[in-house]
Amino acid sequence: MLNLGLDVVTTAAILFIVSAGLLMVFGVMKIINFSHGAFLTIGGYATVIVAHAGLNWWWGVPCALAIGFVSGMAVERFIVRPLYARPLDAILATWGLGIIVGQIITLIFGRGVQMVASPVDGAISLLGTQYSAYRLILVGVALLIALALGWLLNGTRLGLQTRAVIMNEALARGLGISSSRVRFMTFCTGAALASAAGCLITPLASVDPNMGVPWIVGAFMLVLVSGSSLVSLAVASVVLGGAQVLVSTFINPVLGGLTIAVLAALLLRIRPEGFARG
Amino acid sequence: MADPVSTMPLRTGGVSAWKAPVAIGVAALVVLAVCSVTLPTFLVNNLIRAFLYAAVALTVDLLWGYTGILTFGQSAFFGIGAYAAGLIFTHAGFSLPLAVGALAAGLGAAWIVSRMVGWLAFYHGASPLYASVVTLVLPIVLVQGIYSGGEFTGSSSGLSGFDSIDIPLEAWFFVAGAFLVGLAVTAWLFVRSDAGRLMVAIRENEARCEYLGINVSRYKARLMDACAVIAAFAGFLFACVQMVVAPEYAGFVFGTELVIWVALGGRGSLIGPIIGAMSIDVGSAYLSGNLPYVWTLLVGVAFVVVIVAMPRGLAPLVAGVARQAMPRRRRIAPAPVTFVAAQQRAGGFADNTRPALSLRNVQKHFGSLRVLDDISFDARAGELLSLIGPNGAGKSTLMRCIADGAERSAGTVEIGGTEIRTLAPYDCVALGVGRKFQTATVFESLSVAEALRIARYRVAPPSKWERDSTLELPQPALDVLRLTGLDRIPERECRYLSHGQKQALELAMVLALEPRTVLLDEPTAGLTKQERTQIGEIFVELSSRYRMCLLLVEHDLDFVQQISSRIVVLHQGRIVMDGSVEEVVHSDLVRAVYAGDAHAAANQPEEEA
Amino acid sequence: MKRMSSLLSTGRSCGVTAALLASLAMANHAAFAADPIQIGVPVGLSGANSVVAPSVVQAAQLAVDEINAKGGILGRPVSLEVADDGSGAAGAQKAFDSLIFEKKVNALISMETSAARNAGLPIVTRGRVPFIYTSFYEGRSCNRYMYVDAWVPDQQVAPIVDYFMKQDKAKTFFLIGSDYAFGRGMLDFTKSYIEKHGGKVVGNEYLPMDGSDWTSIISKLQAAKPDAVITSTAGGAPNVTLTKQLRAAGVKIPYGNLAVDEGTAKSMGADAQGIYISGSYVTNIDTPANHAFLAAMQKRFGADLKTPNDLSVPEYEAIYLYKAAVEKAGTTDTAKVIPALAQVSFAGPRGTIQMDRERHTPLTMYLGQVQADGSVKVIESFKNVDPGEQCPALK
Repeated sequence: MLNLGLDVVTTAAILFIVSAGLLMVFGVMKIINFSHGAFLTIGGYATVIVAHAGLNWWWGVPCALAIGFVSGMAVERFIVRPLYARPLDAILATWGLGIIVGQIITLIFGRGVQMVASPVDGAISLLGTQYSAYRLILVGVALLIALALGWLLNGTRLGLQTRAVIMNEALARGLGISSSRVRFMTFCTGAALASAAGCLITPLASVDPNMGVPWIVGAFMLVLVSGSSLVSLAVASVVLGGAQVLVSTFINPVLGGLTIAVLAALLLRIRPEGFARG
Repeated sequence: MADPVSTMPLRTGGVSAWKAPVAIGVAALVVLAVCSVTLPTFLVNNLIRAFLYAAVALTVDLLWGYTGILTFGQSAFFGIGAYAAGLIFTHAGFSLPLAVGALAAGLGAAWIVSRMVGWLAFYHGASPLYASVVTLVLPIVLVQGIYSGGEFTGSSSGLSGFDSIDIPLEAWFFVAGAFLVGLAVTAWLFVRSDAGRLMVAIRENEARCEYLGINVSRYKARLMDACAVIAAFAGFLFACVQMVVAPEYAGFVFGTELVIWVALGGRGSLIGPIIGAMSIDVGSAYLSGNLPYVWTLLVGVAFVVVIVAMPRGLAPLVAGVARQAMPRRRRIAPAPVTFVAAQQRAGGFADNTRPALSLRNVQKHFGSLRVLDDISFDARAGELLSLIGPNGAGKSTLMRCIADGAERSAGTVEIGGTEIRTLAPYDCVALGVGRKFQTATVFESLSVAEALRIARYRVAPPSKWERDSTLELPQPALDVLRLTGLDRIPERECRYLSHGQKQALELAMVLALEPRTVLLDEPTAGLTKQERTQIGEIFVELSSRYRMCLLLVEHDLDFVQQISSRIVVLHQGRIVMDGSVEEVVHSDLVRAVYAGDAHAAANQPEEEA
Repeated sequence: MKRMSSLLSTGRSCGVTAALLASLAMANHAAFAADPIQIGVPVGLSGANSVVAPSVVQAAQLAVDEINAKGGILGRPVSLEVADDGSGAAGAQKAFDSLIFEKKVNALISMETSAARNAGLPIVTRGRVPFIYTSFYEGRSCNRYMYVDAWVPDQQVAPIVDYFMKQDKAKTFFLIGSDYAFGRGMLDFTKSYIEKHGGKVVGNEYLPMDGSDWTSIISKLQAAKPDAVITSTAGGAPNVTLTKQLRAAGVKIPYGNLAVDEGTAKSMGADAQGIYISGSYVTNIDTPANHAFLAAMQKRFGADLKTPNDLSVPEYEAIYLYKAAVEKAGTTDTAKVIPALAQVSFAGPRGTIQMDRERHTPLTMYLGQVQADGSVKVIESFKNVDPGEQCPALK
């Protein structure tokens, strides 16, 4: 029972970490960035680079953030910006980008699965049960990310401008806020977050050129259901992630893998705003 | 929301429009028959597959390129057709009755799944993003289902080794090719027909279509049903000729490949997806063996470049080159159309004695913000009622509440005596109200005549195959067209009209619905003085001569004073005055309202009309 | 029409030239007078098998080089045609079509995924070409033109289960797999084998093929407290994620992995230590034939050598078996070669190979355990393990 509860909480934390970057981009720019999976993969390979350089695994996080941010700059400038007025085309272009990044990584690193040593090994004893230490650490990381993003949005000037653009872009522009700068910064931050997430999940997953793909649809559905609010994303992660764990455990893991997508689609049909308020 | 991609013109002159496509189709069949015996086996094998893929790509283009529904799910329907054949032939054996049964099962299953997708994705107010999401989830769910099917479905290994229709490969080449040719010719006829232009109208301006009385959601769902069945048929043929089915044919990677082929070949055209699918598929058979990763990378790069920089794809480039190579080609023009007066419909709205519009206690609030509070009034035939008030008074919101049953938060709205409850705009239109938007919203890629024909969709459904050379319009619409000179330029594309002409065209489109009540949202915005006078005369004529009820939202008080028979003043969501022109114009209250003296306005009691 | 066919023949010659250029490194240009015997190798150069494909191609190449150095087959040189099957059905159809109808090969000898193999078989039947399938798989795939020289579940499972039951006194087992034909096939066989030998299966869980989150399954495993765990996941990522997550959760019971190869195990590092694997080939096999083979591979490929493994060595042996069959039949004519393939044998790195059990092959199976340095130590070997009744209809 405790194990199940821990499973739910840690799964929700992982989903939150992976989806936070996508949420930022969707909330501000109202487009779905299908290259999110590619950024996850880039982050995963950042840890490979760090490992080859002989550094401690934890250096992978800032490395991933940096590579993600820089890649995000190029992507926003050349692919996303020309497609502001065509959101469906933006989905396709970012999907195409994902294919390109996957092939380039394959050409550079090879198709094989890369092994990266975990920073924290094994299980710890928690309230009478053994549980994976790294998964518990990720819960802490998710909280940290939520707090950091919350501070960025609510405590900084850029964050205030971002919230204005999220609510009403035309009005914000009319008030002198440079919405293109906000969009640019948001996309780069979202890409950096995605890369960091890719780095953080490597101890639990493997690093290969397609590692990001299975996460795209799940993250995508969570973001659609959350609108543009971090709080809704947290709620959605817990509810839908919990549903996934319960279905996987009590019914069968194949259906569990489909739970998030199907539940989210049905939820949006009934209530198009999802978990967001009003 | 409109994606600004135009349709490639695909028209030839002449009324007997079906002759050219059919002739080309027959010629293609002859070429196929000859090729089936002359081409080498390897190419024949590849082309059979490529023909069937191209057919599915064509359905993707009909949905996405023409109608604006981005779908990743056509592969799922292809897979359903293929697995119907695979499952039945593997577990029940093969015979002709079983084959027919398998085909029926595949088509039926595809139709059922399409109905479900349609229910989920197409409803009033659905966002196009959500529809794409549903089409994305569909193949994922289907493939997982196939994987979990164990030995019954063959799981990840697929099913193979089953018996199938035993005809030589050359015959299959002809069958697959004929399927593609038949589909292309049918699609060509449909797309060029009057009904087919509706797809473009929906892609460009869905809201306008809804307010013209067209049930857009049902149209999209029907279109998807048709495309699903076609894709399933292609899948069935594929399984019969290849004698193997595998989950990857139903999956989401294949679904996105179809979109990529259509994008590269040229969306919104019929030859585009065929060229895209066939050249990339056959090309990869020859090239990808030598450079497996680079090939995918090249396709990916080409795809991104095309989406960003050349959204119409490569087909228009090719067509442009072809056109230059054949300079004597006649410049193709749409079929000429003449406007005629429509017969007065018996049992129209003129007989109805109840008020054209009747509002009681209508309210609208966003959370705790009250935009409209306790709005009640009647409007009768022949009245020209102007709604005025300072900005933020709620005038546009009120217009929306009358034309869209889901908009208001409380109260009743009756149109011609019938309550609208929560009806969608297209149903409200059926009750007799037409709405003209503030910014002229017409269909950029369509001609004047085509736009007006779309407006007549509900009253006179256009043919699915033909292009009519006459268009019947009610007298009020004809008057507007004649007065503004639009009746002399029926084939001009809407994007080339001036702002005033677009406003007039939209008015004519709304009048083409033969409404009893017309809602006009700031009709004089952006018009010159002369145009303003012109349109004022039109309004007066509509109300006095044709006995329509006109409800205007206006800021130009001189204009309002000249033409209205009655004025309603709105302030902070409430009616503060409802009376004749003299009463309102000389009222201190109204002056105070416009000057911003809200306190005085709130304290004045309402006056009944 | 004439223009069309000359256009096509130009296209075809372009394609052939390109293929020849690409396989220049693989084709052998010995000075023979007769025209070459072409062996087609459709393999997953891209897609899921792309990690192992290079080793398969190298093994094939070495075999062809050695045969040509000794005079070829029936005095004719042997050449290799490699095509990419994309590790899936659609790609396999193109690859098999290309090899059989365009390049007109005399035989197909290669490994593919089951989906690819199933998609290719109708084409093999239509083209009437012998096909030697060199990959281990879930068994019971039968075709008039196909032979299999790799293992099936009936051969691989027994060593591990027997060892756990005997050595670790394991009575209860927990089975984890990827939900696809191979995963289910392996574990179904494992389950019935365990139960036939008095053990009990306390859990049997599957994740979708591309699933990477084993959390709930691992929780179930810990709740069930089995004596041993046996897994059969899809190759590559699922193997790695499952092992990592098992170790992260602190699972220390005996762990038999039916689907991991030496190379992947080596790169998994510390997480892989202690895993038991079972296969028909490990590089540490101590026989003269294996040592000679490894030396020859090292000499031929030097620094580019991809470690020979349980998927590439059967390829090497299959080419020799084909040579023997053609020599016995005296011709490359398919109708004569097919029966001959069951009658010939070859002494290779895995021992003496003869595909005489209903188109399948009795093999010596090795039980190994992954050591701390990533190498695999052979614990026991089982000679002549029978593949069972795979294709009774094809006697």
